[in-house]
Amino acid sequence: MPTVTIDNQAFAAEVDETILQVAARNGVWIPTLCYHAALEPYASCRLCMVEIDRGGWWQMVTACNYPVRRDVTVRVESERAIRARRGVMRLLLARAPESPELRALASRLGVTQTDFPTVTEAEGNCILCGLCVRACEERIGTAAISLTGRGVERKVSAPFGEPSEECILCGSCAAVCPVGTIRLEVHGDEWELVPFGKKGPAQRCAACGAVLTAELVREALARRGPAAVQGILAGEELCARCKRKKLVGQLLAAGGSGAPSAPSER
Amino acid sequence: MSQPQLGPPPTCQSPEHTCGVSVVHEIIERYGGNPEMLIPMMQDIQAAEGYLPREHLRTLGRELGVPLSRIYGVATFYAAFRLQPKGKHTITLCMGTVCYLKGADQISAVIQDEFQVKPGGTSPDRKFTFAPVNCLGACALAPVMVVDGEYFGGLSASSAVDILQKIASSKKPSEAVAKADAKQKTAAQKNGRGSQNP
Amino acid sequence: MKTLVGKFESFTDLEQYRSALKDRAAGVDCVIRVCCGPGCIPKGASKVYEAFRQAAEEADDKTVSVVPKLTGCQGLCECGPIVTLDPGGIFYQHVQEGDVAEIWRESVLGSGVVDRLLHHDEKTGQAARTTEGVPFYQGHQRIALALCGVIDARSIDDYIAAGGYQALAKALGSMKPEEVLDEVYRSGLRGRGGGGFLTGRKWRSAREAHGEPKFVIANGDEGDPGAFMDRALMEGAPHAVIEGMIIGGYAIGSSNGYIYVRDEYPIAVQRLRDAVAKAREMGLLGENILGSGFSFDIRISRGGGAFVCGESTALMASLEGRVGEPRAKYVHTVEFGFRNKPSLLNNVETWANVPAIIGRGADWFAGIGTAKSKGTKVFSLVGKVKNTGLVEVPMGMTLRQIIYQIGGGIRGDRPFKAVQTGGPSGGCIPAAYLDEAVDFDRLTELGSMMGSGGMIVMDEDTCMVNIARYFLRFLKEESCGKCTPCREGIAQMLHILDEIVGGRGTSGDLERLQELAVLLEDTALCALGKTAANPVLSTVRYFRDEYQEHIENHRCPAKECRGLFRYQIDAAACTGCGVCRKKCPVEAITGKKKEPHLIDADKCTNCGTCFDVCRFAAVKKV
Repeated sequence: MPTVTIDNQAFAAEVDETILQVAARNGVWIPTLCYHAALEPYASCRLCMVEIDRGGWWQMVTACNYPVRRDVTVRVESERAIRARRGVMRLLLARAPESPELRALASRLGVTQTDFPTVTEAEGNCILCGLCVRACEERIGTAAISLTGRGVERKVSAPFGEPSEECILCGSCAAVCPVGTIRLEVHGDEWELVPFGKKGPAQRCAACGAVLTAELVREALARRGPAAVQGILAGEELCARCKRKKLVGQLLAAGGSGAPSAPSER
Repeated sequence: MSQPQLGPPPTCQSPEHTCGVSVVHEIIERYGGNPEMLIPMMQDIQAAEGYLPREHLRTLGRELGVPLSRIYGVATFYAAFRLQPKGKHTITLCMGTVCYLKGADQISAVIQDEFQVKPGGTSPDRKFTFAPVNCLGACALAPVMVVDGEYFGGLSASSAVDILQKIASSKKPSEAVAKADAKQKTAAQKNGRGSQNP
Repeated sequence: MKTLVGKFESFTDLEQYRSALKDRAAGVDCVIRVCCGPGCIPKGASKVYEAFRQAAEEADDKTVSVVPKLTGCQGLCECGPIVTLDPGGIFYQHVQEGDVAEIWRESVLGSGVVDRLLHHDEKTGQAARTTEGVPFYQGHQRIALALCGVIDARSIDDYIAAGGYQALAKALGSMKPEEVLDEVYRSGLRGRGGGGFLTGRKWRSAREAHGEPKFVIANGDEGDPGAFMDRALMEGAPHAVIEGMIIGGYAIGSSNGYIYVRDEYPIAVQRLRDAVAKAREMGLLGENILGSGFSFDIRISRGGGAFVCGESTALMASLEGRVGEPRAKYVHTVEFGFRNKPSLLNNVETWANVPAIIGRGADWFAGIGTAKSKGTKVFSLVGKVKNTGLVEVPMGMTLRQIIYQIGGGIRGDRPFKAVQTGGPSGGCIPAAYLDEAVDFDRLTELGSMMGSGGMIVMDEDTCMVNIARYFLRFLKEESCGKCTPCREGIAQMLHILDEIVGGRGTSGDLERLQELAVLLEDTALCALGKTAANPVLSTVRYFRDEYQEHIENHRCPAKECRGLFRYQIDAAACTGCGVCRKKCPVEAITGKKKEPHLIDADKCTNCGTCFDVCRFAAVKKV
């Protein structure tokens, strides 16, 4: 079992675990933006730069995808690693100076402002981390959006820059977006995925009429969801509150004296 | 990588096959339906149609089981692909180091200005598609452009425009060459610049 | 001419075929080699070849047997189209279609020469009959390009007759894979594509890597601006690459080869496709090659026009039908490459060296070059040099020898300023280092690199700030955009350089550039980003004054950056023709007919029209 020594603290690691996983498990904070535990590492934002000992020289690597194969000595808080991470953050801030999320992370890194001018165009503060694209493809299996173009022209977009035909409005992309570029907005009965322009009707609770999800999600689940999901879909569709009410009602009607205590709000 | 089995060609409602089903299907078969050969397939579609029509890409994705978003990503990543129809003539202007040293930048600016065309785009009159490339490997001719396969070397901003205007008004580029050549020679004598150019 | 055999089934078959080809060649009276390389084709070489071919076909005197050959690059692009004739090795330059009849009469049927098409010495005017009298050809040593320009580029027979596939037969017939590997290792061959990694070590890792199948890949995605070595090689001697790859496949235990060719090189794609088909047809590719039991095949893949695909992981992604984005190489591609399988990738020039190493031995190869850089290197010598062309010289030759002896010096005999090597990852080397030996390590020490072999010569009219800006602009367009430092950092550096050449530079710009350079080197994902600052760093290192002139005095010493110099009319040279006055878009020029004209500096927008139109070189940049 290899040992990962981070800033003089030794931690046991599994082979092929990443430096970031070892660090996170042991409470060592390494900043990340394009990383999400549920997705394959992509190593594009370069915010998780650390130094590793290569025997005589120190190599800068990204913690999120550097696989531990043997004992490795890591420096997170070295001058060079800090300078690199701050440098990357200053570049990102120059690209998306308006993002509150990015600024919050920056200040945690000790970067309060950037001296670089804005020279690349970011649509709604997008920093091109690609989390949305990977979530859609790897987790949802829809692949409605992709990283298109290249270099400074790169952007996240659905094919031909039009609202995607495949998108089911599940909102996973919005959920993983670290800078609030992507949002799922509800306008009455219509849902819209901003900025991709995909719209669709909402599905409501059969009892109280509260918004549940998008119709398209329901359809997609019906089409390709696992068997357990099919079962749920077969029944009446209720929001969590109404489901609870119904359950309590059923239990009371069954005449049980020990009514379950109301579950705490999740 | 697993290769999907090719079903029979899907039926197409349009008599002109605007969906590109027949073209695309033939190309897919050429590569045994291997999704790894996506880029060559797209190159072949472009060779057949002059650009990548949307419907062809949709068909391609459907048949190969490759998400359209990925195909669109590929189409916009590689400089060789065009999503718009091509102009009547294609100007390939070399922007390599040597051509740049010898003024390719100005030539590019003048072409864009004169024919209202952006790099990678097509002029409003559909006469020219303008494709600056990084290096044609013909440095001995710098600055050099290729129009419809014919090389024009030792260019200046004005001689390039002259050549293109002649091409626009004639049928074949070669008809425009003779006159342009003569003009180039005079240009080369000026200021001692470019006189060493072939 | 009919084919002698169908498919070779043994080494003897190949040797018998070769000797039959040699017998056939012995009956030929005259061989005409028309260079149809990258430099000659645009100058009309195809028509010249066609004219010779027709002449040979229609020659009514069938007593003379003439074979015209369409060859790859013969080297001296500057003087193309080049035609060489054997016997006698007569060297003709600037040959046009209209000259064919005369050459035919004088040198094919007769034994004379056409003097006006010979190379004449620049100073003495003396005519050279063969390449031996042409300075450009002195000091060359062709290994990778040995047969390029000599054989018909389309003919496998020519390649075989000249000894082709002999090394393959040797490897398969008398060497174990480990022995082949050792031979390559001991030769000291280093990768010709850029980094200069020891080829033998890479092969060994690929052989030792676990996982099946293994892949052999040739990188023909030559993208450095000003470089055409790989194009010339793939077009002129495609079988040398193929033979090298089969040997490589045998050494590491792979049966699958891919050649990834740059999209902008359609002729190379065609030649390679034809060559692979032909080799397959003759049993040199495919199942049971030469009856040895070893099988190997090659597929040709065209790039899509993305410089970054020259990077190994991006190239492999592209081969898989995806966007050419690099990925981390913490696990090397020899273990985990194309389709996540062990993949051995070498540049096409590296591959083309392999048959020679196996054929003539590691010791022979290691005897050429310098202590740590063995063999030869192909360069494309371009820019403001007199003899633009393709050069293959032993490692260790000095820059001065290459630029002044072979290249003939600077155009117009102007002073040399710098030579750019290594493409966008390389740097500019100034005159002080002209006597340095060219090898991998020395170029790196000088702040440049060998790269793939582009060599761009610059004279004093070239602004070094502007050239750095050119390379950054190139990289900005070619960056895949995946990682932050490359995408954003290059754009930031370019922005600073744009300001400097626009006369808006400020103090601190150089420090900012250097800081960004360190950031890119430390944090970028792939080599494209890590080395992106090299053109800036090397020019700042050697031409700091020039940067400072731009920043502090808003002057461009090379008078290239518009707005940082002025136009002035030299009264002594001006004839008062009035052309500049008429052409000036802002009416800034005044003067009477036949009297010297004057530019009003307040009105002048520095557009340069007057400079362009003056026929008497009277408009000066000051």
